Amino acid sequence: METFVIEEWEETELSLLETLDHVLNRGLVIAGEMTISVADIDLIFVGLNVLVSSVETANEVLRKRQSE
Amino acid sequence: MKLYVYCLAEGIDVRREPTLGISGASVRVLKTENLSVLVSDLEADSAPVTRENALTHAAVVRSVLDYFTPLPFRFGTVVTEQQLQSYLSTHKAILESKLESVRGRVEMSVKIIWENTIEQQPQSQNKSQVDKQGAGTMFLAEKRQQILGDEHRAAEASKISTWLHETLSELVGDEQVTLRPTERLVVSAAHLIERGKIGQYREKLAEMRQNRPDLHFLSSGPWPPYSFANIGLEFKTQFGVS
Repeated sequence: METFVIEEWEETELSLLETLDHVLNRGLVIAGEMTISVADIDLIFVGLNVLVSSVETANEVLRKRQSE
Repeated sequence: MKLYVYCLAEGIDVRREPTLGISGASVRVLKTENLSVLVSDLEADSAPVTRENALTHAAVVRSVLDYFTPLPFRFGTVVTEQQLQSYLSTHKAILESKLESVRGRVEMSVKIIWENTIEQQPQSQNKSQVDKQGAGTMFLAEKRQQILGDEHRAAEASKISTWLHETLSELVGDEQVTLRPTERLVVSAAHLIERGKIGQYREKLAEMRQNRPDLHFLSSGPWPPYSFANIGLEFKTQFGVS
């Protein structure tokens, strides 16, 4: 059953998940100027257990900003 | 008024096709010496992380990829024009070096997942065993088994990563590999490869899939080189700073 779910992701959501993973987690950063807000977050992959690093990263950035 | 920054490239004079960026603002080219940056005006101080905004960012960067290989900025980069100009002039040499390293290349991504999670064989813990060995002994035995299982998975992940590296090494110019970023994800790798070798890369991955049906491969690309754009990471690698 789990394999089936992954296959489904591959067909329908992998492209989106990979896109989000790339744009949220990687790329040039101008130190101190990165501003992310997750207040209006509506990313669809919250709860999936393979490619959730993007949300985790966004939340971590937010937590750090709030603690500064 | 601030600027939302998408990517950096060489020699983009005008946008071939009008593109709308974050918040529906027009994407334009900001030029500094040999460097061109795609930006759009942003009235707010930040761009909320929404699916629409993330996909817009990706689409603008990808629109350049058809013609040049850009250095993408991470989603959410919002600066004043003065800050951007200062960044470009301060980092001009390393940015040009980065652009040189990705020229004519694209990023391919592969994630390898355990098809069947290697589970611990739970020891039967009936009352007589606990009475015989003691709860403390049983706990330590289970803990030991857990550690051994974890070591086994780590060793297996390392073997798979080496196999991936060796199989693709002739095609790969650079790579970023993360071992076991999550419990089920064995390896997450980004490969920088020449545009003309994408077909060969996919063929190699197809062979690997056939050789290891116990693993699940998620491959995607070509991508702009998001994983190879970070200056901080290069500095860390180059100078061994941790």
